[in-house]
Amino acid sequence: MISSRARLFLALGALALAAVPASGDRFWMQFLGKAMIGGIFAMSLDLLVGFAGLVSLAHAAFFGLGAYLLAGLSNRYQLAQMALTLPICMAGAAAGALIIGWLSLRAAGVYFIMVTLAFTQMLYYFLNDAPWFGGSDGLYVALRPLSNPIAAYYAIWIALVAVFAFLLLLLRSPFGRVLIGIRGNEQRMRSLGFPTRQYLLAAFVLAGSLAGLAGYLDANLYGFVNPALFGWRESGLVLMTVLLGGKGTLHGPALGALLLALLQQQGERLTEHWTAIIGAVVIAVVLFLPRGVAGLLEARRA
Amino acid sequence: MTLSLFALQLLNGIEVGLLLFLVASGLTLVFGVLGVLNFAHGSFYMLGAYLAWWLAERTGGLIWAVLLGVPVMLALGWAVERFAISRLYRRDHLSQVLLTYGLVLLFNELQRTLFGNDVHGVPAPRALDWTVSLGEMQTWGAYRIFTSIACLCIAIGMRQIILGTRFGMRVRAGASNGEMLEALGVDVRRLFSVLFSIGTALAALAGMLAAPLTTVFPGMGESVLVVSFVVVVIGGIGSIKGAFAGAMLVGIADTFGKVLLPSISSAIVYAVMAAVLIFRPQGLFGEAQAR
Amino acid sequence: MPEALLETRDLSRRFGALAAVDGVSLSFAEGRVHAVIGPNGAGKSTFLNLLSGELRATSGRVFFRGQELTRATPDRISRLGIARSYQSANVFAELSCGECVWLASHSRARTLVFPSARVAERARRALATCGLAERAGVRARQLSYGEQRQLEIGMILATDPQIFLLDEPLAGLGHDEAQRIVALLQELARRHTIVLVEHDMDAVFSIADTITVLVDGRVLESGAPDFIRQSERVREAYLGSDAP
Repeated sequence: MISSRARLFLALGALALAAVPASGDRFWMQFLGKAMIGGIFAMSLDLLVGFAGLVSLAHAAFFGLGAYLLAGLSNRYQLAQMALTLPICMAGAAAGALIIGWLSLRAAGVYFIMVTLAFTQMLYYFLNDAPWFGGSDGLYVALRPLSNPIAAYYAIWIALVAVFAFLLLLLRSPFGRVLIGIRGNEQRMRSLGFPTRQYLLAAFVLAGSLAGLAGYLDANLYGFVNPALFGWRESGLVLMTVLLGGKGTLHGPALGALLLALLQQQGERLTEHWTAIIGAVVIAVVLFLPRGVAGLLEARRA
Repeated sequence: MTLSLFALQLLNGIEVGLLLFLVASGLTLVFGVLGVLNFAHGSFYMLGAYLAWWLAERTGGLIWAVLLGVPVMLALGWAVERFAISRLYRRDHLSQVLLTYGLVLLFNELQRTLFGNDVHGVPAPRALDWTVSLGEMQTWGAYRIFTSIACLCIAIGMRQIILGTRFGMRVRAGASNGEMLEALGVDVRRLFSVLFSIGTALAALAGMLAAPLTTVFPGMGESVLVVSFVVVVIGGIGSIKGAFAGAMLVGIADTFGKVLLPSISSAIVYAVMAAVLIFRPQGLFGEAQAR
Repeated sequence: MPEALLETRDLSRRFGALAAVDGVSLSFAEGRVHAVIGPNGAGKSTFLNLLSGELRATSGRVFFRGQELTRATPDRISRLGIARSYQSANVFAELSCGECVWLASHSRARTLVFPSARVAERARRALATCGLAERAGVRARQLSYGEQRQLEIGMILATDPQIFLLDEPLAGLGHDEAQRIVALLQELARRHTIVLVEHDMDAVFSIADTITVLVDGRVLESGAPDFIRQSERVREAYLGSDAP
């Protein structure tokens, strides 16, 4: 799946990221921390989009659930220990994914896309209107599990490497091959005896809990959550990250997250109309770069 | 709930549903015939509303704004189909979602640049500035009556066109088998352009008509898009009849929800959608597309 | 009379006003090759889709070893041991032949995470039986159409089925390719139960133990090949004067 040269680059990139805190530059640590969280988020979505063939617009909801649960636990119960809060937040995101996935996977094709968006938006409105979650102002994370910026950075780095390795192994396992088979021909898989909906639901829940992990790390990094995390812009943006990096490659979406973070940062500095730049980039990628940056690199090599 | 309040809520629900139908019918037609799921459809509603406000300020009334605005939106729809949507006809769902998502970002920026980010009210035409009383307490605005009737006329007109004209026959044929239509020598490209512009104009018209009722604000496109998705999922995608039934159901459920269960009103339409997914995943009027 | 493995009772499926399958009661005996023939539009494919669960019956029932599966889903029916092929080769175009049969074989495995040696062995045997052992590494889309049909039979063989439902396995094949599939079917017929929908009459009469003729969704005649060959009703309704 990944060429040996690409593997070398990935290893070097990971080492370079690990070395960043040594520079002591707070800005780059924050920036790269954010980009790596985006990488975890995008890789977890790639499991669905690139391998299981599910275009989900609910993924921001699970990111948001992970983040909100941490904020809630720390505000209401003064809970911050990572050993306790991380499993709870990931399980909460997984539970949300189980409910939304169970309902959405009853529908196929474009129905699935529309339904995932609708349920995400429902959560968004709910949090936006509910005063006990801070409403549209959001919530501060009173006690952060990892308030030391260097510890937070390394936690993100470890999570990124671990999620990448985990997904790589998962996709090589029989489970991953079944997902790829379902993407290729779901009807055939069913008539071969695979309960395809259960497999897809399992993938959906797994991806949702990893998105929850990304949200947890995000809430820890920024110490703040608001309903915009659930917004459909976020879901669209992470989908765009997957396509920009190259869907179905796993390392591509991680790369895409870094590129998008750079684009966003430069765009914001350059002009107040930077969302228009993002919009134009999305359109350009769809039209001219359907296999993403990873596909471009592969093609150059070949 | 008194009878008159009930009647008023029902009428309001029908009116909300009729406006929703204008939006959802374009969405479902474009998907049914062109095979493209258009996320920018809500943006047309939003742009229509802003255009109505901007033109009404300058021409002195909503009626002029509609008369001038609808052709503008027809042209915009035509251009969007020609330059963006037409490149999606053989692409997968992911490309469709993302390209039209990119368009949403561009249209939002367009709105911000041209019209600003403020919330605006648009006055109803003066000729319709009166009310009908229903019982002792309730009154029903003439503008709401007018909107309902106008939408109903459009819905009936659409039915007549689709069932009774050659254009409508082509649309129906395109929805069931696009390749065959091409083989029969129909100019499919033009058919698609025309249909997409009409869908755009319908969404924009709904936004224009809704402007005096809901005010004009950024983000109105996204919220109407999501509700239209709910309508289409309930009704079954590609089906005009389904869009009508779904829009009515959502309009009425939403209106009554706000009165009867205000604390969870925003969740009610989604609960309806969840129920449809559990019991009839292909939608009320949809053909089997369930997993 | 051997015991019925698969049985339908008064099975019907309507599409609007059209009764595609209309009150069909048939039983398929274990170890036999049972062909279902009939003119185009007779309801043969619909009948097969009802057996495999891809269509729901409007009325009537289906039994497998006495167990009712009228409303069962396709995956459950497959796991019970009823495997099917499709009218045009239905394989995983982007996967290699080896991966295609491996997936099929894995559908019977209990493991999700760890690869199983039994799964791999069953896949290897199925690929050998269908005659594609040397092409294990080739992508399915690069095979000839005839080889794709072989691969599809290999895939369903790898699910270790008790009964094969084959929907026109010879359709679209040239003479030589068809001969290869017929030989493969004869090989399978020695150990398996087969329900065969096919238009190629030479093949049907040489392989089948029992033949059922469907016309307009109803059973016109059912019996041994010689009986069908001699039946006046079949001759009139379907075979015409130049019957084999």
